[in-house]
Amino acid sequence: MQTPGMYISAAGHVILIGWLIVGLGLKSAPLRFETMDVSIVSSEEFAALTVAARTPVPGQAEPDVLAAPEVEATPPPPATQEPPAPALPPAPVTQPVEETPPPPPPAPPVAVVTDQPPVAPAPPAPPPAADVAISPRPTPRQAPTVASTITAPPPPDSRVDDVVRQEAVPDQAAEAEVVEQEQEATAPPETTTEIVIADEAPSGAVETSIRPSARPNRPAPPVPVQTPAPAETPAPRVAETPPPAPVPQDDINALLSDLGAEAVAPAAPAVAAGPPMTGAERDSFRVAVNRCWNVDPGSVAARVTVEVGFSLDRSGQVDGDVRLIGSDGDRSATNTAFEAARRAILRCQSGGYALPAEKYDQWKDVVITFDPSGMRMR
Amino acid sequence: MFYDMVSKSGDNRQYRPARGRPNRQSKAEMMKRVLTLLVALFLAGPVLAQGGPLRLTITDGVIEPITFAVPSFEAETPQAQQVAQDISRLVVADLAGTGLFREVPAAAFISQVSSFVQPIAFSDWRAVNAQALITGAVTARGDQLVVKFRVYDVFSGQEMGGGLQFAGTTAGWRRMGHKVADAVYSRITGEGGYFDSRVVFVSESGPKDNRQKRLAIMDQDGANLQFLTDSSTIVLAPRFSPNGDRVLYTSFESGFPRINVLNVASLGRQQLSTAPGEMAFSPRFSRDGQSVIYSLSNGGTTDIYRTDLATGQHLRLTQTPSIETAPSLSPNGDQIVFESDRSGTQQLYIMPANGGEARRISFGEGRYGTPVWSPRGDLIAFTKQNAGRFHIGVMRTDGSEERLLTSSFLDEGPTWAPNGRVIMFSRETQGAAGASALYSVDISGRNLKAVPIQGAASDPSWGPLQP
Repeated sequence: MQTPGMYISAAGHVILIGWLIVGLGLKSAPLRFETMDVSIVSSEEFAALTVAARTPVPGQAEPDVLAAPEVEATPPPPATQEPPAPALPPAPVTQPVEETPPPPPPAPPVAVVTDQPPVAPAPPAPPPAADVAISPRPTPRQAPTVASTITAPPPPDSRVDDVVRQEAVPDQAAEAEVVEQEQEATAPPETTTEIVIADEAPSGAVETSIRPSARPNRPAPPVPVQTPAPAETPAPRVAETPPPAPVPQDDINALLSDLGAEAVAPAAPAVAAGPPMTGAERDSFRVAVNRCWNVDPGSVAARVTVEVGFSLDRSGQVDGDVRLIGSDGDRSATNTAFEAARRAILRCQSGGYALPAEKYDQWKDVVITFDPSGMRMR
Repeated sequence: MFYDMVSKSGDNRQYRPARGRPNRQSKAEMMKRVLTLLVALFLAGPVLAQGGPLRLTITDGVIEPITFAVPSFEAETPQAQQVAQDISRLVVADLAGTGLFREVPAAAFISQVSSFVQPIAFSDWRAVNAQALITGAVTARGDQLVVKFRVYDVFSGQEMGGGLQFAGTTAGWRRMGHKVADAVYSRITGEGGYFDSRVVFVSESGPKDNRQKRLAIMDQDGANLQFLTDSSTIVLAPRFSPNGDRVLYTSFESGFPRINVLNVASLGRQQLSTAPGEMAFSPRFSRDGQSVIYSLSNGGTTDIYRTDLATGQHLRLTQTPSIETAPSLSPNGDQIVFESDRSGTQQLYIMPANGGEARRISFGEGRYGTPVWSPRGDLIAFTKQNAGRFHIGVMRTDGSEERLLTSSFLDEGPTWAPNGRVIMFSRETQGAAGASALYSVDISGRNLKAVPIQGAASDPSWGPLQP
């Protein structure tokens, strides 16, 4: 059991112990004691001494004296440093949100220092009622960033608001959603504070796809595409229907189409096809039509797969007829299946399918295969 | 397209090693290139796929009734006011009763159709989400009635088919309403209707231990009930002829079950000749109505026979010691489906119409009986008894895709609507006070509902669409 290691260890310990005993490495520093000479004095002498010596003794006198004057004196330095941090957070929460509508002045008022306690400035400017509800959400986010950058945000806030409101205008078409989007409008001010963080994050990452370069090549394909579609229309009735299909649209639809045209205007010059449709965009379009495709599993038509083609205008509405391109069933069942498919496409278009305007060239012509094989009775 | 590209990349991968002696570095490089190529192709896929129109495939739709609106039909003469409303309501009841359609209530209408010829404001009907719009007009002069109608696909703004017009008598307004509903149903679904059809069945009355039975006939919706026989004898299993002019049924008038042929119009009867001691039952007309296939029990065996009604000539179709019964011909008359216990339990078999080797098609648990071939020819309805419950079900003619549509204490005797879309059957409730009633169910298993009939009823046979 005896190993060289044991010998080495034993020797080491012996040396160490011996070293300690000899005291080579230990130096005991003598404890320091502060001594003070004391003399006995009488009470009178003590009183006389104290009157003269009060100034040097800081102890009790300071709090009393500082209480009044320091409030005014001390704040300045801390105001710029730390105190604002804890105090400002609450202020911006109430102020920026409610004040955003009004001009920036209220924000800068650095009222932060004095306003915090009263919080009066915040309530007086309550133009957007809905803002109040929204304010709570951003609050938590600001906490981390507010500390250092709060003073600067006011100006950006005003910019954001303007931008957002412009976006809200088109939303007016969607009546119900307007409310929600307005809420988003109020959020921007808060997001501006977040933007500080967002800047670091991949804000532009989403748009970074450099794919647009591929577009110039595509303009060619779309041209041939159009030719086959009309050529394939076998059903004669299709030709008859054109007039009713584009049917008179509501004012809202007209408005939307106008808006769509405006949005497309800048894209028009770029004749090239837009960037490719993403999977999410295709799926959302597919789901939009799914909702209105009514299948009767017990019908003969449920055994027929039909392929239909149609064109969309820039507002996402069907332009012209929905055409039957192909089918694998007999005439009667095909006709029924086609009508169900056409009904689905026309029913769910309402104000126009939500498709990316910049990719219009990608979806102006659509071919959908309606395959009910998965819905048949088994 | 994506798969093609993948396969190409695979080709590249196989090509690389041929360049020279592979070593670890070259393999790593090769793998890197292959992966790069795969990624590039994957990213390029959607780009390349944009070469033509946007192509989508939709496989999941929704299963819900088609909404329709029926503004009250215009009364073109003062006399037609009431009947116009009645016909409108009947059309709505027929369509909504299928479970395939749902009416948009008149209270939701934005605009009315005051004139049959006025243009349709499709936007108003789209606004109330009416997918189909049915307009009509009724003219009544004396006892003559004329009904005309049009069907529109609201969202495409097109008329579905042309306008149609029916002429009849005021007494037959229900049939005219059913005709309109049939035409609408057909135009929207692409399949034939079944509203203007009748059902013959056994009407039952009295306590369960002394049940009085007689043949009765009614419209498929339970209206216009009429009795074809009295309750002096027990009658069973009435079966309509292909054109609905006659009814086959089994009568115990002589003490033994015998098959009678009843003329629905004249109520005249004719009995199928059988030898003394023989029991004939479970009859059905051939597709041409010229002969009858039925079961004949004699000497302990029960087999299937066919008898020509004109000549009385018999033809034995099965020759086994087991019990073969409940024959039903396929729509084209080539085959017969029947039930047999030749395997030890009651199962379904198919054989040629003139007899021959039978092929078993039912292999599920339990016992199968009363098979009926669908007018469409693609399905066979049956009664199934399993685990103490009775079911009405359907299966493909090869026995596949069996689906049970109902389940109860006692469901039996399915019969097909003329369009093969609905099955009617009799359901009996449990207990001494239990009574039998007629029910109908869509072949999808939906829309199970009782047929409104006064009194108990059983053993229905759905007739053809009336001319």
